[in-house]
Amino acid sequence: MSIIVPILSDTRVSDRKELKDLKRDPLGQCSASPVADDNFHWTATILGPPDSPYQGGIFFLNINFPTDYPFKPPKVSFTTKIYHPNINTNGSICLDILRAQWSPALTISKVLLSICSLLTDPNPDDPLVPEIARIYKTDRPRYNKLANEWTKKYAINQQGN
Amino acid sequence: MRRKLQNPEPSTMPHGNSVDSESSFRNLKFSQAAPLISTLEEESSSLSPTSHSPAKYGELVILGYNGCLPSGNRGRRRSRFILQKKEVANGVKPDKRYEISAPRSAQVTKDNEKHTIAYTLSRHQTFIEEYTTDVSTDMFQIGRSTEPIIDFIVMDTVPGAKSQEDCVISESTISRFACRILVDRDPPHNARIYAAGFNSTNNIFLGEKACKWRTEQGMDGLTTNGVLLMRPKGGFQATSAPGVWREVSVCGNMYWLRETRSSPQRGKMVENENNILEDGTLIDLCGASLLWRSASGLRHTPTQELLDHLRKEINRGRPQCPIGFNTLVLPRNRNVGRLLEENSKQPYAYLKCGHVHGFHEWNSKDQEGKEERMCPMCREVGPYEPLIMGNEASFCVDSEPPSHAFCPCGHVCSEKTAKYWSQVPLPHGTHAFQAACPFCATPLCGDQGYVRLIFQDPLD
Repeated sequence: MSIIVPILSDTRVSDRKELKDLKRDPLGQCSASPVADDNFHWTATILGPPDSPYQGGIFFLNINFPTDYPFKPPKVSFTTKIYHPNINTNGSICLDILRAQWSPALTISKVLLSICSLLTDPNPDDPLVPEIARIYKTDRPRYNKLANEWTKKYAINQQGN
Repeated sequence: MRRKLQNPEPSTMPHGNSVDSESSFRNLKFSQAAPLISTLEEESSSLSPTSHSPAKYGELVILGYNGCLPSGNRGRRRSRFILQKKEVANGVKPDKRYEISAPRSAQVTKDNEKHTIAYTLSRHQTFIEEYTTDVSTDMFQIGRSTEPIIDFIVMDTVPGAKSQEDCVISESTISRFACRILVDRDPPHNARIYAAGFNSTNNIFLGEKACKWRTEQGMDGLTTNGVLLMRPKGGFQATSAPGVWREVSVCGNMYWLRETRSSPQRGKMVENENNILEDGTLIDLCGASLLWRSASGLRHTPTQELLDHLRKEINRGRPQCPIGFNTLVLPRNRNVGRLLEENSKQPYAYLKCGHVHGFHEWNSKDQEGKEERMCPMCREVGPYEPLIMGNEASFCVDSEPPSHAFCPCGHVCSEKTAKYWSQVPLPHGTHAFQAACPFCATPLCGDQGYVRLIFQDPLD
């Protein structure tokens, strides 16, 4: 394990195979690239999905690749504040594929796609912020209104970080 | 009922009837296959009297070897034996039949020149069948004995054996003089098989306790563990289906199988079947199974060169590991040293789902890599094995691309070849049958015994 890991993370991260993977499958509403020369630290952007209260927002994320990537999941967090039952004020994301359900066959492009889906379809049954989950379940118009207000306040015409 | 258990119809074997015919390699189909198919006419003297090479009758290939014995193919000990016209006919045919008393002193059985079959009736009574030279046939003898009278030495097959040491077994079930094949020297070169071979003094002995009986002509019998035959329906090709196993007697008559392999009670005679080997006939010697390929059948079999070309076509597509994104190369042979090498090009497959990967240890609990693992692509749990090309061309029913792999060994061949062998019930133990990989003899497992391989295309 200790031998194989740097080699694989080398081909996938340093050799920028992950970038090629992103280019092969243009996602439209997501993008990602390394920060300066640090191949193990990327930033990504996700456009708020249409038909969601996040529409129009540009959300910035941090991606840190562990040295044993892809056998361990990348650490992905929002740097833009977002009102969502599965994302807390630190930007931490509660998403199964970033934890127990991680697979080394997953790529950054697949992870970003999953996060986009999470914005469209929150999972209030496994919340990171119980209060938002409660509002999402009991008062959907209020949830939509608050999420949209946060989007306008933090994710439109704002810079990440 | 018990009969059915002993000799299952092919329909009771696991088989895949829902295989996706749209193999991912259809686009790689080799369009210039014809020039690489061997042209036996050119190699055979039967059609050109001026040629010096003798006519080829056919081949016997031992199931469980991928082109070579683990110790190498040398002399009469090899994975494949070619039967060709002998310089001088050495066939024999029945001549005189008579009974004598006091068998051991009988002069006739000591006469090396004469081939005889001696059926011991009692301590004082022996039935002798004398054989005489038959200039119209060639005789080939097969058995475990290394004496010169044996043309093709066959040892017990050890499933999955990778080295010479793996092949050592304590007790063999194969007869030293297991069977003999007589081939007509004139076309169409019919090859007939008989249980038992002549020993170095040209005798076959059926002892007092042997399974034997009187016939209209004289006597007939079975050998201890018997010689079983299975003729596929429709020859040996992509559309063939396995047939029913029979037992052949010392005189070449066909019988239903015995209750158990070495039961003293013979099966019922099968009147309308004969002992002529047809292309694809399987011969089971109890410990090793041989595939008969006739010279005419081999004309439609891919050559080694074609198989290698089809393998390279797969590699030309630069399949990639979905985890490491590194390019994989399907090897021709098993390179033990590289199998567990990190970042090597050796492809591995999850044999439940067919996803092809490079070597990795994700989700592996055992460093030996023998346990079942979860596929990172689809989370299906199954065996994870290195893929090795099936190189023995005589086992291939067509010349399609190597798109499928046997489970659990990972030998790669065409879809139809995998399907055919997954349906062939091979005798196993005293009265059981099981399908096995023809390239290594490992019993097949999983729903259908093989899987369609899913290679990941390269990123760029």
